[in-house]
Amino acid sequence: MSPSLVRTIGLAVSLLYAGAIVRVYVRQPATLPEVAGSLTSSVGAYRIDQARFDAGLTFFRHDQFVEARDAFAQADPARQDARVQFYVAYAFLRQGWGRVYADDALYRAGKAALEHARSLAPSGSIQVDDPDLRLKSSEEMAAEFDRGLTRELSDLNPVRVFRERP
Amino acid sequence: MTVGREAVTLPLLLLTVAALGGVRVAPSGTLALVPPSLMALLLATLLLAALVRSGTLAPRRLVNDGRVALENASGAVVLVALLAASAQIFALLTPSGGLLAFVVTAFFLLLLWNTLAVEPDRRQLLRSLVVVFGGTFVLKFVVLASLYDPASGLLKRVMLTLLEGATLGTLGVVPDGPVTGYLAFLTLGLFFVALILLPRGLTEPGPFLPQSSQTIARGRS
Repeated sequence: MSPSLVRTIGLAVSLLYAGAIVRVYVRQPATLPEVAGSLTSSVGAYRIDQARFDAGLTFFRHDQFVEARDAFAQADPARQDARVQFYVAYAFLRQGWGRVYADDALYRAGKAALEHARSLAPSGSIQVDDPDLRLKSSEEMAAEFDRGLTRELSDLNPVRVFRERP
Repeated sequence: MTVGREAVTLPLLLLTVAALGGVRVAPSGTLALVPPSLMALLLATLLLAALVRSGTLAPRRLVNDGRVALENASGAVVLVALLAASAQIFALLTPSGGLLAFVVTAFFLLLLWNTLAVEPDRRQLLRSLVVVFGGTFVLKFVVLASLYDPASGLLKRVMLTLLEGATLGTLGVVPDGPVTGYLAFLTLGLFFVALILLPRGLTEPGPFLPQSSQTIARGRS
């Protein structure tokens, strides 16, 4: 092999490797599967388990949010898929939503999940075309979380009990 | 130095050190990836200066006017990777916060400053680095980890309480899990392998030195 070819290959591999390392450091994975997922997604090789995702959607549509999140976690063990993480956030939102008040702990967890999902999307925005969802974009969901976590006078408005679930 | 070593082995080795150097695994198993601090980058720059002065690293063998662009790019990658790896090594060996972090950082700074003034040769510098990095590794991952082990005995806990009291609670050590220690040992080992493989100051010109530099080297000898 000629020295120039070795140098070209070495340079390309080094730059790809350095890029993958920077990407993993930026993503800040918290577990080893997440590290593996971050590395595979950096080369476009990451795939979710579609069957588990579909099972999660079924749970989600039957208002079994804990089960839904469990199935989503199995479908996307590395938490690298923006769409799956959007549904995780939505599961927190629907579980925490109440006609009289919102569950702050679930809303905070949902907001954190949504922020993570947005960090995975290249443009920072997620659009999901699902007729079952009222909030189809990450921006709408972020606003809903903020409304739920903010204390204001309109919280005392009795008409609130008639509002629709997001 | 062979082309393979310069273009493949050294960059991959140093980038691996840079990647592993920031890995912290908490006792609970949670992973954190810590980028180098500014202070670690400063210390790494001083270390590179010491490596050059001692002849452990000859940057002109990696980047110079006589080389073509591809050769210079390949050499520059080695230098940047070496800086990143060195910074991560300092970040890895320095306690995460508190008084001890300050003490260890000051120790590194003074030691590197002293090394630059003394101008040791390659062998002396490598020996010195083994002692310094080995010592701080033992301090952080053996002594402190043992002291802060929640399952440690009564005597250790009394010692720790006395130590915290004597330093007015400023020690502020957050111990990493044992996995971090094993990873740190591996990282440190790889770093020293990389240091040994670096192109050293020439007495005899190597096969990949450009013709112009070979002439200069022969003229000097």
